[in-house]
Amino acid sequence: MHHNQHDMRPIQKHPLNVRVFHYILLLSFLPLAATGLLLFFKPLSQEGMQLTYDIHIIAGVVLSLDALAFTVIAFDRVVLFIARVFSLSERDVKWFMVLGGYPQKFLLGKKVPVPPMNKYNSGQKLFGACVLIGGTLLILSGLVLWLVPHAAPRDLVWLLGQIHLVAGLILTAFLPVHLFLAVYRFDDFKAMMIHGNVPYHDAAEYTPLWVEQEIVPVTVNQQRNK
Amino acid sequence: MNNKKHVFAEDSFFISRRKFMAIGAAFIAVMAIPVGWFASKVAKRNDYIKARSAGLYKDDAIAKLRVSHANPAVEKYYKEFGGQPLGHMSHDLLHTHFVDRTKLNS
Repeated sequence: MHHNQHDMRPIQKHPLNVRVFHYILLLSFLPLAATGLLLFFKPLSQEGMQLTYDIHIIAGVVLSLDALAFTVIAFDRVVLFIARVFSLSERDVKWFMVLGGYPQKFLLGKKVPVPPMNKYNSGQKLFGACVLIGGTLLILSGLVLWLVPHAAPRDLVWLLGQIHLVAGLILTAFLPVHLFLAVYRFDDFKAMMIHGNVPYHDAAEYTPLWVEQEIVPVTVNQQRNK
Repeated sequence: MNNKKHVFAEDSFFISRRKFMAIGAAFIAVMAIPVGWFASKVAKRNDYIKARSAGLYKDDAIAKLRVSHANPAVEKYYKEFGGQPLGHMSHDLLHTHFVDRTKLNS
């Protein structure tokens, strides 16, 4: 047994601005995914579909403003996120070979060795890249489809509609996986949903490289960064 | 641990200033490219209609006959058959009579 086993000293993992961004993203994306599926399958009456469309537009505007505001206010977090998400190494290949050890844990009940991960594991990085690229495509195509479908060239509008559909379906398909794994990693769940901190033992188990390379005592950090 | 202040945090500038600026600039460029692309697409959306109407104007400008009343066939019709424009014969022959058929639809 490792001596980090019961180390409960808190490490800040998700700062307040990230948590606020994530909350607004959550509250806008859930209705967007639900109404998006309804708009795709069209099961409701005329009035019902109109209400669905209105909810989709309002939630889409909220999500777009959230993304824009976070990009402007917390540009450093955006850059750091991009740097993490698009950093690839041999470890990521090895991680995907065992899928982070999760299927073995859930299906076979056994523990397999997993390569050490940074703040995000390889699966989270793939998800992050999809959210970053797919979300940008969804926002831009959604704005054109909502505001200027008559002024934009017809073929472009059709193409943007297809892009909106595919990106939306991919991100919606990620949603149940994300929700399940978020609750499974309960320390990280509490960090994102409540106070931003994970206990040291959790960080050391799941994100050893992050702890080793980037984590500093807060007094030193405070001098540089509030 | 809820209300406790964290004792560790990540060193937020774990990447160098040079790398930070490179990633930031690449991000802004990737965001700006589609905006420019959309704008040029929207600006050029009616080009083919403009080209078509310019072609029609050009055809008109070089046409031998530019007005219908100078058409020799029309002149010949009035001279030999229809009398004069808006005359009785022309009115009967060239005007369409409409019948109210809205009842049939209901």
